[in-house]
Amino acid sequence: MHMKQLDQAFAALADPTRRGIVVHLARGEASVSELVGRFSLTQPTISSHLKVLESAGLISRRKEAQLRPCKLVPERLKAVTDWLEQVQEIWEGNYKRLDALLAELKQQEKQERKK
Amino acid sequence: MKPAEVSLPSDTEVLVKRSFDAPVKLVWRAYMEPVLMRRWCSGPPGWSMPVCEMDMRVGGHYRWCWRSDENGQEFGFTGEVLEVVPRARIVHTQIYDPGDLGYSMGGEPSIVTVTFQEADGITNVATSIKYASKADRDEAFSTGMTDGMEMSYKLLDDVLAEG
Repeated sequence: MHMKQLDQAFAALADPTRRGIVVHLARGEASVSELVGRFSLTQPTISSHLKVLESAGLISRRKEAQLRPCKLVPERLKAVTDWLEQVQEIWEGNYKRLDALLAELKQQEKQERKK
Repeated sequence: MKPAEVSLPSDTEVLVKRSFDAPVKLVWRAYMEPVLMRRWCSGPPGWSMPVCEMDMRVGGHYRWCWRSDENGQEFGFTGEVLEVVPRARIVHTQIYDPGDLGYSMGGEPSIVTVTFQEADGITNVATSIKYASKADRDEAFSTGMTDGMEMSYKLLDDVLAEG
């Protein structure tokens, strides 16, 4: 996956409706009309969201079927979640050290109070 | 404590939340005193924080720099303090200094707001990074750098290889 595709995927997922669509599709394929019903949005709005998701590679649409059902591309989504996880790990690494430092500061305070 | 939660609340923002088992006065010190901050804010494994200069008064400036143990490459952040409410809130600008890592990251400074809230001896810390534009955020995010955390290109390659 190229950097640019990862950027596109992040941009696509920055929108709450598109995230909702992704979550919905995680349960299985859905047609545009199903999504329109589920999200109470107009067909053109849903279609434009789907276009963004599709060009980011997060979903694919079957060409042969008339309803062109939408389907999640799990590999692409996994690349994004892996990425978020790695960012999270860096923060968590810092915060774990902060936990240890705070425990030390608490201990110091306790001892100073005893004196 | 529950692990840090990273979210993207809007197009231009990244929010990280975490709770700490300590009163806010100690957490505040860990964020305000360079000697303490250097000890915990050292970034991913294999990196250290050799420069941590900060004058955390309104109008004061700070400079943070990280260095790779492996090849000595450096990058950092600088910025100006915009608002300080002791033990509650700090707001500062943040400008990425690519050092010798080379790649750029947006042009405009981002705005970092850290809020501290204590309840029953537990301190909740929320860090919001607001980028000047969505493009800046996506760029910062995809290069793996948020608020002084940097991810080496090696890690990026691993992620991309998996994808």
